[in-house]
Amino acid sequence: MSLDANGRRLARRRFPRPGTVDLSSRAERFAVMRHLLRDKAALAGIIFLSALLVATLSATWVLPLDAAAQSADVLQGPSLQHWLGTDEFGRDLGTRLIVGARVSLEVGFGSAVFAAVIGVTTGLVAGYLGGWWDAVPMRIMDVALALPDVVLALVIVAALGNTNLNLIVAIGIAFIPIFARVTRAAVLTVRERAYVQASKAMGAGSTDTMFRTILPNVLGPVIVQFAITAAVAIVVSAALGFLGLGPAAPAPSWGGMLQTAKSYLYQNPWYAVFPGVALMLTVLCLDRLGNSLRVAMGIQTTETAKVAR
Amino acid sequence: MTGFLLRRLGQFLPVLALAAIAVWAVVYALPGDPTTVLGGLDATPEQIAAIRERLGLDQPVHLQFLTWLTHTLQGDLGTSSTSGFPVTQILAGAIPATAQLAVLAMLITVAVAIPLGMIAALAPRAAGGRIVKGWLSLSLATPPFWMGLLLVIAFSVGLRALPAASRFVPVWEDPAGALRNMILPALALGVYSGGVLARFVAASLSEVMESDYIRTARSKGASPTRVVVRHAMRNSLLPALTVGGLQLGSLLGGAVVIEVLFSYSGIGRLLFNAVAERDYAILQATIMFVVVVFLVINLVIDVLYAVLDPRIRLK
Repeated sequence: MSLDANGRRLARRRFPRPGTVDLSSRAERFAVMRHLLRDKAALAGIIFLSALLVATLSATWVLPLDAAAQSADVLQGPSLQHWLGTDEFGRDLGTRLIVGARVSLEVGFGSAVFAAVIGVTTGLVAGYLGGWWDAVPMRIMDVALALPDVVLALVIVAALGNTNLNLIVAIGIAFIPIFARVTRAAVLTVRERAYVQASKAMGAGSTDTMFRTILPNVLGPVIVQFAITAAVAIVVSAALGFLGLGPAAPAPSWGGMLQTAKSYLYQNPWYAVFPGVALMLTVLCLDRLGNSLRVAMGIQTTETAKVAR
Repeated sequence: MTGFLLRRLGQFLPVLALAAIAVWAVVYALPGDPTTVLGGLDATPEQIAAIRERLGLDQPVHLQFLTWLTHTLQGDLGTSSTSGFPVTQILAGAIPATAQLAVLAMLITVAVAIPLGMIAALAPRAAGGRIVKGWLSLSLATPPFWMGLLLVIAFSVGLRALPAASRFVPVWEDPAGALRNMILPALALGVYSGGVLARFVAASLSEVMESDYIRTARSKGASPTRVVVRHAMRNSLLPALTVGGLQLGSLLGGAVVIEVLFSYSGIGRLLFNAVAERDYAILQATIMFVVVVFLVINLVIDVLYAVLDPRIRLK
């Protein structure tokens, strides 16, 4: 952890105004990258997530991993043949975990992207234009924040059906307010800065000022929030899968595996352990990554992702 | 203080009204309606029309909303379309179950958060502090429902000591039985939210420890324990109060996944079943309950905060 404290001190010196890293500047991007690569926890996170991504993509396209291959060894614990054991149809749990990672990553990152695009735009407009543009959307965001994320996603998925795209929208909606608030707060700190005035003085319109001058300067907190949101979204998607609202049956997903495993706790308790470990490691990596990014960019977070249960 | 209260109430009411509209609209927009569930597959169009008329589904949208609103304000939440019981009666059965679970989970949360937060803040470099920080990172990455599964594997499947499915036993009737039934779901919820809260306690305590008045207290010769307990903790618990309050709010709103996992008959499972059965009346009532609890808790926290910290009122 001394690295963190050290990094924080370094980051403060490098960026005199915390929280306003200009990511359109190559030097500042480089400084953030260098911090990430020096932070062991963040580096481990990057390596694990990349490995997971490569494994799950190549599992579908390249590797001869068949998540549907059944065998006579039903509900076995870990063995040499099946490293992580087998499920109720004798399918290899390790294989299904790797193939199932794809859904988690797709839905997790997808809903974070969905929420970020809408939330950042709202926050940008609200923070920059102010007045009614600020009051009305932000009150709507307050209401949306009062709806618990799992409940909202549950109702939407039940209504629209459980395709990946619907899952992304259902989970993403709950995270829009957080992005809007984070962005709005960052916009308020930079909107009166000299470079914004300069851009306006040179005749840039509102849209231009918002998206080309202010946006690159408020991306820091947004990126940090993105990492946290992706982690929470992965958990929410697993929770939905656990409630039986994940991707349809034969396709493996971590949440769905945990749901089935619940019926076989006596026969093979490992079945309920490994998908959770995969989930935990993924969330842990994203969390460490987000934390390291926050330190690298000298951001004090006031907003936290909502608690998923 | 009166001004602050009025201002805060002025924010609360519009948000509550908007939320009521939003909840109603979301449920209204659900495709598939109770007639298909109630009438069965071979219902004639006449039967379906009769059901729709009975439930008031044949009326225009705004009339349906107004009917719902006036009935709700009069305390009539309708009847469940699947069981036929009044929604108020069903809610009244589920609320104590969820409240009892929420209180126990919250006790665990606080019992976890304060000591761990203090260790992480006061001894960040020591072995204990490092272990606590590692634990906090791990517990934040552990979804409560998986923690619940692990607890079931350990205590129900392995040790056969505790039930894997939790009945609601009122604590005033049978305290031991209530604890036996609730301890696993409460632990699953409490360990997780305790981790979240501990981070806030640690962050705000370490910030307070840097402040001038703590240095003054130290230089007066106050013992380290006294500095932390009497001087630092009081101020550092203020921000944690907000987070803790929000956690209590979401616990009282029902922990859907945990209640389903343990087949615990609280608000969360009621809501989950209502979604599955397309029980509009129950769905509207439960979601509205969750939202109102959240908003009210929010309001209470803000007011409490203003009482405890006079600076807030002046902003």
